[in-house]
Amino acid sequence: MAPDEFRLRARYRKGGRLRFLSHLEVARALERAARRGGMPYAVTKGYTPRMKVAFGPALPVGTAGEREYLDLWLREYVPAPAALRRLAGATPEDLAPTEARYTRAAEPSLASALTIARYEAVVDGVVAEELEAALGELTASGELAVEHKGKTKVFDLARSLPEEVRVKADGGRSVVTLTTRMGPEGSLRPEVLLSAAFDVAGIRDAPVSVTRTDVLMEEEGGWARPL
Amino acid sequence: MPEAAWHGGRSTFGRRAKAGPAHPPPGRAVLGKTRPRAAALGELAQRTAALFGRVERPARYLDSEWGARRREDVSYRVCLVYPDTYELGMANQALAILYDLLNSIGGVAAERCFVPARDMAALLRAEGVPLATLESVTPLRECRMIGITLPYELTYTNVLETLDLAQVPLHSSEREEDDPLVLGGGPSAYNPEPLAPFLDAVLLGEGEEAAGEIVAAHRASLEAGEDRATLLRRLADVPGVYVPSLYEPDSAGRPRPLAGAPARVLKRVVTDLEAHRSPTCPVVPYMDVVHDRATVEVTRGCTRGCRFCQAGMVYRPVRERGADAVVRDALATLECTGYDEVSLTSLSTADHSQLEDVLRRLARRLEGTGISVSLPSLRVDAFSVDMARLVSAGRRSGLTFAPEAGTQRLRDVVNKNVTDDDLLGTVRRAFSSGWRRVKLYFMLGLPTETDDDIRGIGELVARVMADARAAVPPNERGAVRVGVSVSTFVPKAHTPFQWEPQLTLEEVRRRQAVLRETMPRKGVDLSWHDPEASFLEGVLARGDRRLAEAVEAAWRAGAVFDAWTEEFDLGRWLVAFESAGVDPGAIASGKREPGAPLPWEHLSSGVSTAYLRLERKRALAAEVTPDCSFGECTGCAVCEELGVDVVLGGERRGT
Repeated sequence: MAPDEFRLRARYRKGGRLRFLSHLEVARALERAARRGGMPYAVTKGYTPRMKVAFGPALPVGTAGEREYLDLWLREYVPAPAALRRLAGATPEDLAPTEARYTRAAEPSLASALTIARYEAVVDGVVAEELEAALGELTASGELAVEHKGKTKVFDLARSLPEEVRVKADGGRSVVTLTTRMGPEGSLRPEVLLSAAFDVAGIRDAPVSVTRTDVLMEEEGGWARPL
Repeated sequence: MPEAAWHGGRSTFGRRAKAGPAHPPPGRAVLGKTRPRAAALGELAQRTAALFGRVERPARYLDSEWGARRREDVSYRVCLVYPDTYELGMANQALAILYDLLNSIGGVAAERCFVPARDMAALLRAEGVPLATLESVTPLRECRMIGITLPYELTYTNVLETLDLAQVPLHSSEREEDDPLVLGGGPSAYNPEPLAPFLDAVLLGEGEEAAGEIVAAHRASLEAGEDRATLLRRLADVPGVYVPSLYEPDSAGRPRPLAGAPARVLKRVVTDLEAHRSPTCPVVPYMDVVHDRATVEVTRGCTRGCRFCQAGMVYRPVRERGADAVVRDALATLECTGYDEVSLTSLSTADHSQLEDVLRRLARRLEGTGISVSLPSLRVDAFSVDMARLVSAGRRSGLTFAPEAGTQRLRDVVNKNVTDDDLLGTVRRAFSSGWRRVKLYFMLGLPTETDDDIRGIGELVARVMADARAAVPPNERGAVRVGVSVSTFVPKAHTPFQWEPQLTLEEVRRRQAVLRETMPRKGVDLSWHDPEASFLEGVLARGDRRLAEAVEAAWRAGAVFDAWTEEFDLGRWLVAFESAGVDPGAIASGKREPGAPLPWEHLSSGVSTAYLRLERKRALAAEVTPDCSFGECTGCAVCEELGVDVVLGGERRGT
């Protein structure tokens, strides 16, 4: 990073109908918002200079996010409240940035630092107790084999699920809260875990709506938000 | 979360902080409530949204893109349709212009709709959900008007697919008082006969002024409580509007006007492009669409006079937007959209008289922003390469040129005023300027083509390859690539070649084999346009109203997205032609004498038939015709017919 660049970290959401955007589409939309907002963004060197911006771990198509993050490098210092206003004013409401602050230049990238994700999954038409029992049985087995694009990946559930999975009944729906550990060796997606639980309990695939409620860094002595 | 997580790195902030007043430690900025949410969408929106999780690329069907306009409380809603998927349709500049223009009329809302991909179409049908607009999720059948662009012939089945998914009767004759008015426009409107029974009305030519007039006529008709038949007669009085049901084809397939309809419909044209500002706040898609960038139309019309080119004939005369307006609109569009690229579009951008000035000014204004400028098509000359150098930060993308034919004789026949030396000189300049790839477009089956002309393509490509390699350092010669794209010539209505036969499929295959004999292999990427798709395009391009039955039969047999190689099936069409009792080979490849009846005789682009006939004669004698925007009038009659003139920002230069 050039010495006179400023690393602005912003928190944004991905909600409403825009939960159906891909990670790439979200990233492009926010980059365009930064240009529309007149942010004095820095650009990379080289043949095809690009905006210097970096995002946290990708969210899949269909998954909403309540606390998502990006880092934007600026050529000029703009007080964080003003920067946030400019950015938010140029962003569609369902992707709106809601917090911003400058961060240390040398900090590791969001993508590598954020290794813990908390989710809330709403499952329609499944009895909470049945689902809870199935998830309990699944986690007790210790491992989950997942087929993806012809390859089998085995998740160590004790490592992938650092907290207990909880299920709550809410009318005719079950609300599942879970925490997963993400990393280069793979990230367990809530839909995949739930689908395996449906298999265990003999439940037909039910509609699942997933929201990532938090992404966290693992630090000595606990987990922390990046902002 | 500890508040003390702020790590204000001194190395970052110290230097600047000294220069100005000391900044307070930048604290956490938190926005309160965001703007109030837009009014909740209705039940249909929820039903549509419930399908998003079950389809590929749901971003095609989302509303609320930046710049999308959703207006409540309007009395007149029009749905603009591009008859292909979202990612193709969002590249269409006409759609953006009309969207902007119609939304600026009081009481009128213009919204968009594209053709759902097969997976979404199947779900809509299975769930009984009617096709709706993106913005307000209003069913198309509840809009006052459905305006459909007709960009090229292979989208015709998509028009029927759209109407069917919208639950609007396919045939104009079956529509009732409450059904929307279905209006077509765009390039294929110049021979709309194969779609005639499905369209209530067709606009010929440019929509900047006519679209508002059509809407006004429709609203006046609604206010007066007129029935549909009276409305259609009223619309036929709007200049440029063709109402197919007011014409009946004679035994030769020529539509003849019924009582009260004009004998000839003349296209609409705007006299001055600058009177109509380029849309500066178009809708910005979320998904990766074709031509995903800001655009400014710098020139409309091209009078280079290539005799195969329909656009070059029907968009006459040339009208440039001045340099100041182009620079202003380019910057305003970038600011409003946030795109990282702006494209200066036209049929031949290098012909713009002030292009160099525009590019230098934009380069200065965009320095350090990472925003680039692009030029869509290049002329085969040194000036074009110099212009490309001005805009291209990277040399990776390659340059594209269209010599069209392999020999000078045949290039003279088609009036492509380019010599071998022009092309080779341009290639040498491009490769010595750092480019390592060029792409060349050729056509197979142009009138009078012989096997020598075809071999000429291979020989010309070999010379291009040799000159390109000689122009780069020896260690980079391996990187030199020449892309050669060969399509089949399709004669189009309203061109000097409108009477010429198209090659039969058999003959195309034989000539492709001839081309392969001389085409160098090393460093050359040869690609063909699917000749079967070109054959269908040729049939639909010059067919008459009898083809409508075949279009409908093909669609009923499952034909949609015919322009997509993986979806196209000629067999389905051949069966459809047979069931409709038409001989497609006779339409595409039959011989017509100039003067033979044509199904589009009642529609005029302003270019006189006498001029087209004269141009055909010159073509067969290999005589060239100059470009009137560089010199004298060549007598095509457009300016006299339409009361317009060539508009230039300065003197044109180049070849």
